[in-house]
Amino acid sequence: MIKSVLPSEIKEYLLAFADDEHLMGQQHTEWIGIAPFLEEDMAFASIGQDELGHASMLYALILEDSSEIDAFIFNRKPEEWRSCQLVESNHRNWEEALIRHWCYDMAEDLRWELFRESSLPELVLISERALKEEKYHRQHADALVENLLTVPASQSRLTKALEEIVPEVVELFSSIPGETEAISSGLVSGKYCDVFSTWRSRVENRFGTLDSKLFTTSDHQSRTKRHSDFGPLYGRIREVFLLDPKAVW
Amino acid sequence: MRIYEVFLKADGKEEFRHAGSIEAPTDELALVLARENYARRAEGTHMWVVDRENICVSEDGFIDANLNKPHRHNDGERVAKWRKSQRNKKSDD
Repeated sequence: MIKSVLPSEIKEYLLAFADDEHLMGQQHTEWIGIAPFLEEDMAFASIGQDELGHASMLYALILEDSSEIDAFIFNRKPEEWRSCQLVESNHRNWEEALIRHWCYDMAEDLRWELFRESSLPELVLISERALKEEKYHRQHADALVENLLTVPASQSRLTKALEEIVPEVVELFSSIPGETEAISSGLVSGKYCDVFSTWRSRVENRFGTLDSKLFTTSDHQSRTKRHSDFGPLYGRIREVFLLDPKAVW
Repeated sequence: MRIYEVFLKADGKEEFRHAGSIEAPTDELALVLARENYARRAEGTHMWVVDRENICVSEDGFIDANLNKPHRHNDGERVAKWRKSQRNKKSDD
């Protein structure tokens, strides 16, 4: 099948998703060896690798050539990234990492669902594949959270982390550059922000009713701005690559 | 936390085989964690996790009271040899 060249607005739109998946995967995998128990650090890093796999499929679609992915990732300027603040920020403790995993994965399947009837056949296949994995990511996050919420000390730590992270997730749903063109071309079936209420219900069903102020966001342009944690994060991603930029892997 | 033993079965006629063990607080988390720890590279199509508490363990010596039992090891070599000699005898006739 000959792939059609995607318009730049569509590429921009897909790039936001690819960059979110990439940085979320990277952040999860960084818990290898330091998560609270052995089984969990392996499981969390493995889930992170699934997200990296999703990112790689989306990058291949955008670049139309999977051999270009490495160069695209490792040589991009910070202002050329389209990731949201949630995946760029550095959550230093375990409860924040777990809550972010829970919140992100409860939002991620809703995002993939929008591509199930995409006009781009490759995207339909990628979303079906991702949705199969996401079911278990949600189960992992939710089973851990459900268990920890039964312990009062854990509950208060999780609630505090949730209040920090919810506003960042709200921003994940805000309008994405190229979304209008993506909808009109049939690439995606609707706006991501239209499924926000489903996500909010999931949060409040699990954690109870939260202060409504947490669900409002003031900054809708943040995908073009980098979080102050992006620099060190990108440094860690490029650490090995920069040892020998010309090396063939 | 409880300890669970993990078993995986590859597709087809393969039997379930012990893959390792895992520590988890609940049955559901044992399944979820075992999935990522032992089956993330498609090592199998079916999985059992068994709470170690639920395994019936035989006492020491229960099955190895005597390991030296040559009378139970018959590889059929002597019978095969005899039958072969009988066949050869017939064809000589």
